[in-house]
Amino acid sequence: MMHARLTRLLIAATAISLAAAPALAADVKLGIVQSTSGGSAALYGTMQKNGAELAAAEINASGKLGDLKLVPVHQDDAGDRGQTVNIFQRLINQDKVTVIFGPTLTTSAFAADPIANAAKVPVIASSNTAPGVPAIGEYIFRTSAPEAAVFPGVLAYAVKRYQPKTAAQIYGIDDVLMKAAYGVHKAALDKAGIKVVATETFQKGDVDYSAQLTKIKAANPDIIVVGGLAEETANIVRQARQLGIPQSTVFLGANAAISTKLNDLAGPAAQGFLVGSGWFIDFDTPANKAFVEAYKAKYGNAPDTFAAQAHAAVTIFADAVKRAGGVSDPAKLRAAIADTKDLETVLGPFSFDKDREPVLVAKVLELKDGKFQLAQ
Amino acid sequence: MMAALDAFLASYGNLVNLCLLNTLLAYGVWLALAANMFTLGTGGFMAVGAYCSVYLTMQLGAPFAVAVVAGGLLAAAVALVIGAPVLRLRGDYFMLATFAFTEVVRVIALNWDAVTGGAIGIYGIPRYTETWQLVLLVLIALYFVFALRRSYFGRSIAAIRQDDVMSEAMGVNVFGQRLSLFVASGFVSGGVGGLAAHLNFFVGPSDFGLLRSVDALAYPILGGVNALLGPLVGAIFTTLLPELLRFSSQWREILMGLLILTVVLFLPGGAMSLLSWRPRKAAARRPSTQGAE
Amino acid sequence: MTTFLQQVVNGLSLGSIYAVFAIGCTLIFGVLNIVNLAQGAFFMVGAYLGLEIALLGLPLPLALVVALVGGGILGMASELLVFRVLRLRGGHKWMGLVASLALARLLVGIAQEVFGTAVHGYPPNPFTAIVWEIGGVRVQLLQIIVVITAVILMGILGFTLQKTSVGRAIRTVAFSEDVARIVGVEVGRTILITFFIAGALAGAAGVLLGLLFNVVSPFMGEHMLVKGLTVMILGGLGNIPGAVAGGFLLGLVEVFSVAYVSSAFRDAIGFGLIFLILLVKPTGLFSGFEERRA
Repeated sequence: MMHARLTRLLIAATAISLAAAPALAADVKLGIVQSTSGGSAALYGTMQKNGAELAAAEINASGKLGDLKLVPVHQDDAGDRGQTVNIFQRLINQDKVTVIFGPTLTTSAFAADPIANAAKVPVIASSNTAPGVPAIGEYIFRTSAPEAAVFPGVLAYAVKRYQPKTAAQIYGIDDVLMKAAYGVHKAALDKAGIKVVATETFQKGDVDYSAQLTKIKAANPDIIVVGGLAEETANIVRQARQLGIPQSTVFLGANAAISTKLNDLAGPAAQGFLVGSGWFIDFDTPANKAFVEAYKAKYGNAPDTFAAQAHAAVTIFADAVKRAGGVSDPAKLRAAIADTKDLETVLGPFSFDKDREPVLVAKVLELKDGKFQLAQ
Repeated sequence: MMAALDAFLASYGNLVNLCLLNTLLAYGVWLALAANMFTLGTGGFMAVGAYCSVYLTMQLGAPFAVAVVAGGLLAAAVALVIGAPVLRLRGDYFMLATFAFTEVVRVIALNWDAVTGGAIGIYGIPRYTETWQLVLLVLIALYFVFALRRSYFGRSIAAIRQDDVMSEAMGVNVFGQRLSLFVASGFVSGGVGGLAAHLNFFVGPSDFGLLRSVDALAYPILGGVNALLGPLVGAIFTTLLPELLRFSSQWREILMGLLILTVVLFLPGGAMSLLSWRPRKAAARRPSTQGAE
Repeated sequence: MTTFLQQVVNGLSLGSIYAVFAIGCTLIFGVLNIVNLAQGAFFMVGAYLGLEIALLGLPLPLALVVALVGGGILGMASELLVFRVLRLRGGHKWMGLVASLALARLLVGIAQEVFGTAVHGYPPNPFTAIVWEIGGVRVQLLQIIVVITAVILMGILGFTLQKTSVGRAIRTVAFSEDVARIVGVEVGRTILITFFIAGALAGAAGVLLGLLFNVVSPFMGEHMLVKGLTVMILGGLGNIPGAVAGGFLLGLVEVFSVAYVSSAFRDAIGFGLIFLILLVKPTGLFSGFEERRA
């Protein structure tokens, strides 16, 4: 009885205050779960944290969401899955975040995403590319193009231009991203009828690939497909040239290899390197140009593909909030995110398919004179 | 009251579970440390237990309890096989041999795709591990360690820790006791591996490397090997530390390093030595009461 | 045959860096019977110090010297702030392991704060471009420079240990601290010098690896530490000539397990080997070269 009256009173009070002060800003908390410490995950976790925070600041400044103010809450899981779950539980139940961007590692996603899904908190990942992540549940999305969406295009281009008969593969066997990429690469090569004459692996932290490359050189493949992060790929390409694998043997890389670091570390050895991606730094759209400039101004270094994917994730969320008319109804918000169609982002026009995977125009890029350019 | 507990567990449930799991692991490692075995094999044993139990529940549909015990037993069997030769090694050689074992297990896990899923691991593991089970197991472990320390066996272990050559001369079967403790430690680590695998839907080789073994060793050592509650205190301290230091953001790693260094340097007997030291000081401040007794 | 010889070249240049790093680890063990797990972090700091000098456009030999001195100072700091304190307080040997790992964590955290998480490469230098091809085997000038530098460093260490009063003091302390005290060796100072040498070697190894493979990151030390421990076992704990031979041997084993078995099992072969060595000949493959601590 007492209770009901109190509630009514509160509603009335709220209504009055809303009517009286329509400009009162409401905070929308964004959980950003990215590894910024703890080994190699910190390399791309930091990029994503920056990209997401930049996007939130831009949206707040633009006034696009009216009274709603995006408040990013970053938490570092140090690449440790146990911590990721701790963070998800606390962000959801205590901080009451509306959405979570992350986590950095796919292994963390498999452990933590089910919690968010059960609590109806949307998760938009920007670096999980292994198969099966959005399949965790209908609240789980990603802006990172799975390797399967980009690699076949790269291979088709290479086949058209170089007519390779044989290929060698080298990949990071202890990296979820790269192990998954290896499977995609292998399937595409088999489908194209290209014979894999050598398969080699490396592990996180390796710096010397010469033993594997010497073996590959002896097998004399027409192309070499690398499943590695940008830093790893750069060294593989550089060492291959030092070992005398000729420039005519073209390297094809995984999506994750797109970074200015590739050119910084490999130098001229990487000339002609082919890779597929939804994004590259010289992607010539007003949105991307503004993003690259703002990123450089704010953080003092160039963004990579992970930063761009994180930026796009926040942009997509903000757009969905606008279309859903607020964040009070999680089901409506989820539906709005899922309905994203041809939204202008730094990745170009962006849509989700029915499996909450990104639909992107994958571009085939070639590293030419130190820059990624559209291959033609 | 229940509502408050539920709300707390919703936000901190996983942290509570991790504290309990790590406490169990700490007592598992303590069994080895109790006889001076500085084992880096914990990560390897956990992997054996985790993959075995997940295989049993997911592929063969075995009940959870059976799977966890089987995981523990398989790890114990592995401990028996490698323990027999390795235990002849002393001190640092023993440590490095167990380290090599853990790394070999990790590489096998990376390559045995049919059972382990390779680097991608196994996901979609059903969640069977419950907080109450972990509480119960920690209580059992505490009682077991309490009883062990008071038993004849426990005293002979303490003798080994002091001086194994002398113990041997006094008729203690040093090798046999060490081996049984090493196997018991393997059993507990394997069981914890199985419990951990069924907690967070996922298991992968990166969970069980050298770092895992080192963390597991740090629990009882930081807490104090000589105190009954040492491993518990060390495990909880180390598990909570990254969460407590969250405010420090990028400085977290630095602060964690500093804090652990401080504990080690100022409390070389572990955190529990702080407790045994405090009452004495408190007592000294109240001489009159003591005199009255 | 060409491929075989090429793999030998690959293995030797990698192994020379392993050897330089591992000598430091094994020296400390030989003298104090402890493993300093912070050596990996000194290696990382050395690589960054060298990188900073190289980025300033200063000559590479200077980069090496700065890394040597920087690594050495860190080594001494670890003795003064950690190991000496533990010895005085009667802490268990385990505490040294936990403490040195915490120290490594601290240094990695600081490096991340100062240099960021990204991987950096050394600026292009004239040596990288020079590659000779001899009968199909390709040898880079840089590889030769790295191997020669490594051999020179090991030579200086060997001379210091065998022919100088400092070296005699170190060997005496390694034999027995009590004996050293009786014959008038300043034990504390000698241990401090040992830590300096070990840290300096780790720092130098960092520059050599950074130069040769163009990779400097805050996390590079962990990986090297594992290699260093492996080499220590191969050569026998505390055995310096053993660590030299073990370093080159590990380089070759890694390369040949990739070449003739499978890169996926490279580390299993390496660790399986040390597991076997520990069981069959725990004093290492090269025992008998030198008197070890009793």
